[in-house]
This record gives sequence, C-alpha cells and structure tokens, in this order.
Amino acid sequence: MTKSGIYWLASYPKSGNTWMRLFIANLNGEEENPVDINELQTGSIASARGWIDAVLEFDIGALSHDEIDQLRPAVYHWSATHTEVLEYHKIHDAYTRLADGRELIPAEVTRGALYLIRNPLDVAISFAHHSNCSIEKVINNMSNAEFAFCAGNKRFHNQLRQWLLSWSDHVLSWVDAEHINRLVIRYEDMVEQPLTTFTSVAKFLELTTDETSIKQALEHCAIKNLQQQEQDKGFKEKMAKSAKFFRKGKVGDWQETLSPTQIQRIVSDHFQVMQRFGYLDARGQPLVRPLVSHQTIPS
Amino acid sequence: MDFYKAFGLIISSEIMLPPLRLLQSRDAPSVDVTIRYGEIDKNGLKQATTTGLHCQVAANHLWLHVPNIAWFEVIDGNQIIVMPESGVDQQSIRLYVLGSCLGCILHQRHFLVMHANTIRFGDQCVMFAGASGNGKSTLAAAFHQRGQQILADDVSAINSQGEVIPSYPQLKLWHDTIKQLDIELAGLNKIRMQVDKYAYPLDNDSFCQKPLPLAAIYLLNTHNQENFLKEPIKGFNKFNPIKNNTYRPSYVKGLELQSIQLKLASKLAGRIYITRITRPNRLFQIDQLIEFIQQDMVSHGMAI
Repeated sequence: MTKSGIYWLASYPKSGNTWMRLFIANLNGEEENPVDINELQTGSIASARGWIDAVLEFDIGALSHDEIDQLRPAVYHWSATHTEVLEYHKIHDAYTRLADGRELIPAEVTRGALYLIRNPLDVAISFAHHSNCSIEKVINNMSNAEFAFCAGNKRFHNQLRQWLLSWSDHVLSWVDAEHINRLVIRYEDMVEQPLTTFTSVAKFLELTTDETSIKQALEHCAIKNLQQQEQDKGFKEKMAKSAKFFRKGKVGDWQETLSPTQIQRIVSDHFQVMQRFGYLDARGQPLVRPLVSHQTIPS
Repeated sequence: MDFYKAFGLIISSEIMLPPLRLLQSRDAPSVDVTIRYGEIDKNGLKQATTTGLHCQVAANHLWLHVPNIAWFEVIDGNQIIVMPESGVDQQSIRLYVLGSCLGCILHQRHFLVMHANTIRFGDQCVMFAGASGNGKSTLAAAFHQRGQQILADDVSAINSQGEVIPSYPQLKLWHDTIKQLDIELAGLNKIRMQVDKYAYPLDNDSFCQKPLPLAAIYLLNTHNQENFLKEPIKGFNKFNPIKNNTYRPSYVKGLELQSIQLKLASKLAGRIYITRITRPNRLFQIDQLIEFIQQDMVSHGMAI
C-alpha cells in the first residue's frame, strides 16, 4: 500500500530547519557526495506562493492575506491526497486556526509534525544576523504575540503571510496540538547527540534508520561542510542583507554575545516555555547545556 | 450590453470592463467574444480532461471556481459565462474575467499566451517575463515614464506571425511601486478594495494600439548577490523559457493545445533573441536595471 500524507518540519526561524532539510535530503539521496545546498529538493515551504497558486490555478495576487488563508487548508488537503508519496514540507507558521475555526494545517492530512525547538537566547542572535537587525528588535519581535512574516500589504511578497506569534506561543501552538502526531526535538540535542537524535527523527519521519546511512548524511551536512559550500558558491536562501547563512550553529553563543539585560529580558518573556524544555535550572537561571530530562512528546 | 476591444478582439459584455477601450455599437459589426451572466453547474464539467481543486478543463472548455467571488466557464474561445457568489463586488469578478478567463480565450484562439508584459521599441516590441515579484510591472511602469509605449501588462498574446497583440491600456501597480516611481497616488483606483494595488490607466499616447513583431524576450530573475548578470540563451535552449513562461500552462494541457503551443513556441524560438537578466533582490535599482537592459538591446541591434 502506498503511503501518503505530509510531514511538517515545523520551527520558529533559525532553529535548525534548513539543517534538518539537508539531513533528510542527504539521507534520502544516499549519494557519495553531499547534496548541493542550492539544489535542496525537499518540498516547498507551506507559505510558498507558487505551491498555493499552482493548486488553485487562478491568480491570488489580488487577494488579501485573510482571503488567501481561507484557501490554504484545502490546498494542503488537495496536495496530500493527490500525491502517492510521503511529503516533507518546512513550515514557519505557528499552528493556528482561521477565524471560522478551521485549522490552517488540516489534521487529517498531517502524517506528523516534527517540531524543532532551540534555546531562544541563541535564536535571538541568529535571527538578528539573518535579518541584519539589532538584537533588541529581535527580542521585541520574539515577545510580540502578533508577529508575522510577509504581513505588509503595500507590495508583493514571495511568500504568504505567516503568523509566527511570540516565540513561546509558536512553540506551544505546535507542541500542544494534541490531535496531531508530533515529535519535539531540541536543536541542542541535534548538536550534542547527533546520532541518537537524528535516528529518532528518521524513525518518526519513516526514513531509513540504517546507522551507516545516518552517519554519512550527518557528515554531509556537518556545519563545516555547509559553510564550505556556501563560501564556494553562495546559498540562495540567504537574505541579501545578511553576511552568511551558515554562521556558527553554536550552542550557548548567548553567553558571549548577549548582555545581562538582554538575557534577563528573554528569560522573563519566555520563562515557562524555557523551563519546560530544560533551558533553565531549578533557580530559573539559563543553562548552556539544557537539562537532559525535559518534557517531550512520545512519537 | 457594452462593446469593448482588447487583444484585437471585439468583446460584448454584460459586465462593465472599464480598463478596456469602449466601442460604439457601430464600431462593433461582429462580436468575437461574449461575456454574460448565466447558470453554471457548481459540480464542474461532465467530461473534464483535467480536474483540479477549483479548476476543470476539457477540450475548448474551462470551468473555474474562485471561492467567494464567482464560478466561470470559458467556451470555444468566444464565450465567458459568469455566475457570481452572493454579495460579491463587480471589481473582483472583473479581475478574473480579464485575467484567467480572457487568458483562456486567447489560448483557445491559438495565440501563444505569455505571463509577461510587452513594451514597444521602435517598430518592434520586447517582452519581459519572469515569476511574479521579479519586477515585470515595475519595469513596465518605469519604461512608460521614459516615454516607451506599452502593449501589454501581465498577459501578452503572440499571434502566428510572431507579433504581440495590444491588450488593454492599464498597468497594475503595488502601492510601494507607485511611491518608488514618484507616481501621484491620488486619483488612482484600487484594483480591489481588499488590496493595496492600483489600476494605472494609460492614455492613447502611452498605449501602443497596433500589433508589433516581437524582437526579444528578457527573462527577469533576482538573486541575493550585489551584481547584475546577463545570460544569453541560445539554440534549442530557448524553447523551455518560452514554455515555462506561458500563461497558466495547466490550462494548455487541459485544453489539449500542447501541440499547437509547441509549434508556435518552436517557430518563435527560432527567430527571437532571449536573455536571462538577474538583478540584486535587496533593493530594486530600477535605473540601473533599465540601463543594463538598454545596453544589451543596443549591442544586439535593437532600438531603445
């Protein structure tokens, strides 16, 4: 029997999603050479205008963001039910409902959601580099319950509007979506315990769990190799205004980069979620290496 | 019932189509296309070749549902039927009549229909194609400001002689483009109340009213680098960019017009110049882009 349905690779921006997509591409390809970062063939991002446009077969350029959102659930449903293979799609939208109560991402075609979470102290730094803006601005965005990408209405956006909500709300929207099958993975565990972590991901996503294949895929998308590829030929997903996409990928960069005030602000904005996922110690102080025992969702 | 002219066709319409040139009935001796309200089966076509989420196509027949706006049928290259959803405004219906429906009519009438705009240069014209957001309309508006005549915005139709047929005298411009080009916003109407995009009417001097031979296609592209690139496309490689930039390729497939399109595209590829132009995506440096294109046109013997 053929399998179909969509696995969503969900995360707040700068939390390891591109790395995960490269891992999946390398694992699926099982080639001797790494997948070209500019030829990443995993499915479109959920907010890709081209995907929605191709399924609808009419112009959405003159529709408002809200009108387009009304059409999105049916498009995902159509795509999943008219493809006879499993699909893997990146998504930065929070898991939300439309004004009429329907889910933006229909549960019935969602085979699973892999949610990647990263310490917000490190997300803030990476996001600021990515957008070439101040860390203060990013901290404000991360605490803004109405934060969205591509939400302006005065020009064309290549992607559809994506409600990100606050960082905490984004995490909770996905990890507490109880009616969908989900696996929550911390970025820090991807870095610190790659083999175990990526093997559990591969199992969840119904990919090969062969150890040699996973090790080879991990080597192909090791940060130093991705940096080398970007240096050699650039990366098309980099924002024009940022210096490079594959920057450090480091865990705990916040210790050297953020001021005590910035740290305090992020911890106070996101205390509960940071604590739940092991980013704070018993006294509420931020940890460089997150606690081993934290609340995850069994797959 | 009013009479209009667009794409060289005389259109009679129960729906007002203000961007199009209005004709007196004596100037419309024979009608090519009729647009009228009528009953449409909400379930779609009985024998569709392709069935999509909201679009079904059979030979010579397109059925389209734009939720909350209307159902449309486009038949035999000469009929557009509209069944509006309740409470919908005329503007919204008009946009899809002039977009998807008229685009389909042109396919059915065996034009090579491109998702592109077309500008006059001397006695020829040049087409600018590329994905939405790559700057086609902004470029057209900027050429218009420099005194070039426009033949078509967004949808361009090429006849079997390789000429582009004038569409109708209007550009559609986003709010930010209007600001960037210092165009007066006051007095312009939104294309729909729900979006900040405007209809910019072209007067008789700004709109070319006769078909002109197509000399070149520029494929507009962007990248995250700071430089401009040009990449001439030669020989058989010219065929794919033409095919990839046709208007709604899924309609062509459903209408079973692929072989006709293939013939038109091959013939065109043999005689026109095609180049891909890549500009930085960070800022839309419109003056530099125009200069870059003009230099290329001059070096290939075209008038600017």
